[in-house]
Amino acid sequence: MKHTCRSWLSLILLSIFLFSCAIAQKGDQGPVKEFQDRIDNYLSAKKKQDIEKKPTDSPGKLAQEKQQTAEKSQQARPEAQRGDIFTPAVSAYFKKQIESTLHGPEGSRVRASLRHAEPLPDVHLQVNAKYPKNLPLQSTPPTLLKNLPPLPKELQYRIVGSALVLYDMSAGLVVDFIPGAVPAA
Amino acid sequence: MKQKKLMKYQNAVLLIAAMGFALTGHSRLAQADPKAVPQAASASKLDIRIPLQDKTVRFAVIGDSGTGDRAQYEVAQRMEAYRQATKFDFVIMLGDNIYGSHSPKDFEKKFEQPYKPLLDAGVKFYASLGNHDDPDDERLYKPFNMGGERYYAFRKGEAAFFALDSNYMDPKQLSWLDQNLKESQGTWKICFFHHPLYNDGRHHGPDADLRTQVLPLFQRYGVNAVFSGHEHVYQRIKPENNIYYFVLGNSGKLMTHDFGEARERVKGFDSDQSFMLVEIAGDKLYFQTIARSGETIDSGELPRIHP
Repeated sequence: MKHTCRSWLSLILLSIFLFSCAIAQKGDQGPVKEFQDRIDNYLSAKKKQDIEKKPTDSPGKLAQEKQQTAEKSQQARPEAQRGDIFTPAVSAYFKKQIESTLHGPEGSRVRASLRHAEPLPDVHLQVNAKYPKNLPLQSTPPTLLKNLPPLPKELQYRIVGSALVLYDMSAGLVVDFIPGAVPAA
Repeated sequence: MKQKKLMKYQNAVLLIAAMGFALTGHSRLAQADPKAVPQAASASKLDIRIPLQDKTVRFAVIGDSGTGDRAQYEVAQRMEAYRQATKFDFVIMLGDNIYGSHSPKDFEKKFEQPYKPLLDAGVKFYASLGNHDDPDDERLYKPFNMGGERYYAFRKGEAAFFALDSNYMDPKQLSWLDQNLKESQGTWKICFFHHPLYNDGRHHGPDADLRTQVLPLFQRYGVNAVFSGHEHVYQRIKPENNIYYFVLGNSGKLMTHDFGEARERVKGFDSDQSFMLVEIAGDKLYFQTIARSGETIDSGELPRIHP
């Protein structure tokens, strides 16, 4: 009798846990889908005017192509502003993911990684503008990358000061950013 | 009396000679242009501690090199002297290949010019990306042999090399690494990337999060040696989990007095720039680390631990 009661109790607790997980996951699906849709739109607008870059011996050609890619990407979204990709709902989701990574079971390791990665100061960032000149790209901890939605190869997440930046590698542009998303480690 | 006069003449001659020497020295200093560095030691006087056996894999290693400063040029010149004597035919780069801006002039001043004798001799450079590199420009720059990718693999004789992008170790790259290490037929598996997994340097320290992600793969697939940069010193780390680790982040930059307590390192050097020579011959990896001054600061022979 005692054993049966215990089994039932365990089953009920497990069901509650799975149910709450499912709700939480469903709650996250909205912002993730919204984010991915916006990324798809960004890339399809960009691809219409993109230049296919190939390896070259000429740094001059690389510089020229990068400039052209930046200009075309900027022209593709002349009205771009902060929040186009990281909408309030998407930002809230990202902040929650970052918070849970930094304070989860692997948090101390991730925070140490951030401290050792040559952290950058908070600098003035602008959407659709070039990434600040000569500013290194701070490494992004792998555990954090595992907890954020995957990106196509053209884009990367970067940490600049306390901001999480969506960085367009081929154009060298800041696509969007969330200020204060990454608290000091 | 005559003796006194003679001494006066002697003193005058010595004074003139000293002035002449000082002036010559001064004119040398005035030429402190990276392109006009003095000739490196002649090949006949080089201290060579790798075996130079037939049909081996022989390469050089540089890290955090791309400053365009005089020290980088002097290390490069030392490398050329060793290339002539040892015939290494490729170089692996551990990141921060071009510091600061990435204009065509920067590529020239911080890479093409210092390593011109090596490039002219057909030496190939294989780059990995550091935090000061521009991932898009450099992956597409042919002389870095990255094939347009942030991370890639290549094979030299019995050794398989894996150049990783430790700035951005996303799940896609981890999955690529898993697949490529699994399929690799190389007897020696060598990984190189910018951020060190173990590091006694005080400026940056080790990247523990990166280590947690890549080390299980290194162990599972029998990686034998790992080369990293980032910390601007040289370190040979105690072998961990049957893997040899080297940190070489001082081929251009230098962080003097950077070491704290020796927790991980067997050998450390933080008072000059340096580069490494490596030769893989059968089951042995021979290495020699050479300072800008020409002094050999570390060398040895390491057996392959994995079967």
